[in-house]
Amino acid sequence: MEEKKMTEKESLELITAMIQRTRERYVGDGNILLMWGYLTVIVTALVWIMLITTHNPAWNWLWFAIGIVGGIATPIMSKKSDLKNGVKSYSDKITSQIWTTVGLASVVATLFCFGFALKGFNPWGMMFVIPLIIVPMAEIAQGIIVKEKSLIAGGAIGLCVGLFTFCCIVSNARLLINWFLPLFMFAFGCMMIIPGHIINRKAKMQR
Amino acid sequence: MKELDPILHSQLRLAVMSILMNVDEADFVYLKEQTESTAGNLSVQLDKLSNAGYITVTKGFVGKKTRTTCQVTEQGRKAFEEYVEALKAYLNL
Repeated sequence: MEEKKMTEKESLELITAMIQRTRERYVGDGNILLMWGYLTVIVTALVWIMLITTHNPAWNWLWFAIGIVGGIATPIMSKKSDLKNGVKSYSDKITSQIWTTVGLASVVATLFCFGFALKGFNPWGMMFVIPLIIVPMAEIAQGIIVKEKSLIAGGAIGLCVGLFTFCCIVSNARLLINWFLPLFMFAFGCMMIIPGHIINRKAKMQR
Repeated sequence: MKELDPILHSQLRLAVMSILMNVDEADFVYLKEQTESTAGNLSVQLDKLSNAGYITVTKGFVGKKTRTTCQVTEQGRKAFEEYVEALKAYLNL
């Protein structure tokens, strides 16, 4: 493209063409979703197996591996993705802010849980409500923004499981590991793993 | 009729502004690819837009490589909107 003067009509055509080009960029990548999805499912499976085989509740500390590994990997992967794309759209910015809010809410919830635990309560059921209510809502919001149905559907399934879990906790129904942990893995499979693969496949087809 | 802004009424500068109006930020390589321009020419035009206060150019490092990112300013956004309005008036749209 040269630096030359144009007619008014050419100017308008150029603006339209450039707007079109910025809209043609691919849907994004699902790698961060896949990382969180597989990480959560693997850690949950590990906790489940260890609790069944050893009956030692200390294995529950493994849950924190999800937050630590995911919390470190996400900004690294996100920066790498931004560099690869060369552009950050407004929807990228909004979804990034939504997920940052989810991350901060999770940290605050964890601190509250520690506080209540130190006072002798057992608040840890809350730690299942956060990823099964706040995360699906963020995912549905992201799906609406980027017009990706798999995110909306996956988020809706996760939210249903989350609301069910919340009802169980409020009703003092016990979340037994033999049915709840598989349900938790199923929810994360639907929320993160399936949409992640769908988004990656779409991105691959668009390139 | 209002005169068209000479800073924007130029093919490459207008292309860059049209892209930046639609994204939060874009890097030099992306702008070069989308506008199909040469690095030298694009660099000169980015300087002109930056000197006019229409965009901010941030130079950073990714590892050992430099990375230049551009963002439209509020002044640039206003100028672009006025430019489009003026275009519409010229074209009787």
